[in-house]
Amino acid sequence: MSNRAILCVDDEAIVLESLVEQLEKRLGEEYIYETAETAEEGFEVIEELVNDNVDVLIIVSDWLMPGMKGDEFLIKVHQKFPGIVNVMLTGQADEEAIKRAKNLANLHACIFKPWSEEELVETIKTGLRKL
Amino acid sequence: MTNNQIKTPKGNILVVDDTPENLYLLITILSEQGYEVHSANSGSQALSAVRSNSPDLILLDITMPGMDGYETCQCLKANEQTRDIPIIFISALNETFGKIKAFSVGGVDYITKPFQAKEVLVRVVTHINLRNVQKQLEAKNVQLQQEIVERKRAEEALQKTLTELRSTQFQLIQAEKLAALGQLIAGIAHEINTPLGAIRASIDNILASYKDMIASLPQLAQSIFTQENRLKLFTSLLEKASATKINLTSKEKRTLKRQLRQKLSNEHIEGASTLADTLTYMKMGENFEDLLPWLKDKEAVSIVKTARNFVSIQNNSSNITLAVDKASKVVFALRKFAHHDISGEKAELDLTDSIETVLTLYYNQIKQGTEVVKQYQTLPLVWCYTDEIHQVWTNIIHNALQAMDYKGKLTLKTVYSQDQVIISFTDTGCGIPDDIKERIFEPFFTTKERGEGSGLGLDIVKKIIDKHQGKIEVETEVGKGTTFRFFLNIK
Repeated sequence: MSNRAILCVDDEAIVLESLVEQLEKRLGEEYIYETAETAEEGFEVIEELVNDNVDVLIIVSDWLMPGMKGDEFLIKVHQKFPGIVNVMLTGQADEEAIKRAKNLANLHACIFKPWSEEELVETIKTGLRKL
Repeated sequence: MTNNQIKTPKGNILVVDDTPENLYLLITILSEQGYEVHSANSGSQALSAVRSNSPDLILLDITMPGMDGYETCQCLKANEQTRDIPIIFISALNETFGKIKAFSVGGVDYITKPFQAKEVLVRVVTHINLRNVQKQLEAKNVQLQQEIVERKRAEEALQKTLTELRSTQFQLIQAEKLAALGQLIAGIAHEINTPLGAIRASIDNILASYKDMIASLPQLAQSIFTQENRLKLFTSLLEKASATKINLTSKEKRTLKRQLRQKLSNEHIEGASTLADTLTYMKMGENFEDLLPWLKDKEAVSIVKTARNFVSIQNNSSNITLAVDKASKVVFALRKFAHHDISGEKAELDLTDSIETVLTLYYNQIKQGTEVVKQYQTLPLVWCYTDEIHQVWTNIIHNALQAMDYKGKLTLKTVYSQDQVIISFTDTGCGIPDDIKERIFEPFFTTKERGEGSGLGLDIVKKIIDKHQGKIEVETEVGKGTTFRFFLNIK
């Protein structure tokens, strides 16, 4: 089993399903792909992976979610795990939130839905190269 | 006679008589009393004298050469400018016939000669007073007419202003509607972009899987379909995958994957983690026990992967269906909401449905942290202006969400009782303080920052409910929340 993971967070199951399959197909078995439907669940998954000695490399997160929003989620994650590359994938632009994520979560990129597979994969690849 | 006083003449009198002595007598009597007196010795002279100098009173002899008194009087009465001047006939004629004629041609009085000076004066005073009163009345009348004209002008100006105000109000209401719609649209764009994203990705996945399927056909033909066990594994996987209808949450999937991985490891099956992953994807769940023996085959991983492509097409297709449903729902709600009642007539409306329409459009804002509780009774259809009722729910829900800062509980209750429909919206927001409570329906009254709200929202709500002959009740407690209750009659 690989010990490098990519985490996708989105409250819409239809997005998570198609997104993960897309990434898996393009990036291959080198990585484990995990999903979460809320920011809270996202924290849980990260903890579990860390306990299993798996490195979380990249998080692709939606912004508008019930409970904690994407920018706050990524900022909190960045505080605890500054090494993780953060990407926002969102259907709605909140300029303030994106700015905050850039400043406090070292946001690597923000992509808008509907996204192009190419753009997403490129973004992740450049993110991975940073590590 | 006082030298230092310049007296204003008590009146202007014209005396007409062809006999000079009579003229002189009258002139003397009258000027002694302070009247300004002019004279004429014939009818025609009288007419020209009147033209140059409009008297307040005319003393008119009857028997004169040329035009007699009656004729002169008739001339004066025929002329608009002189007809109001009172005429007193003075004559030696004492017959009733003459007097009647004098009054019938328009004279106001008749003095017979020889006359007493006092009598003349007394009558002159009376008629001059009457004339003055008449003049005053005329002046007053002119003044009143002028005032009426001015008032009419002012009224027209006010009417014009009122029309302008009405038009401005209408524009403001339209602007308010557009602003509210604009805010909704931002949220709705997200609600549509999300399914679009899922659809696009799903299609990419389908095409990729399809490509892989084609590429794997030789392997399928040669090594899988030729071996009964492998074929069995392959077809079982596909059957099980298409049989499963349940969708698991990501949490449940994670737990399942772990369990599968554990089980497969225990059975010493190679590629346990990849298999666990793929089997979870194919929604094998608890049903895979019977596949265990076949999974020990050395080609198992490859077979499972190939089967996965087939299942992927199925999974992504149903994903697309779900996404399309979601997007359709939002668009449908938007269409219902923005539907313009061109006819301007009432229509039968399912009020519960109308609330749900608005809720759908606000789903985006609601899911940020608001719990929605619905206590719906079955309601009859109600005759309403559909467009406007939607506007009411929109404004109320919008306010409720803002009051709660998008985190809290929104309770919707509908009740049908005694020919009335009662719909209430309760939020757990900041509440409305007593000193503001009376003012919330005032136009342009708002507690929001500049630019955040026009202050017309509740004014519009009230106007619409009034238009439906309905009633609004507000219950509120600072720190606890607010309830807006609407009463509508079944009509």
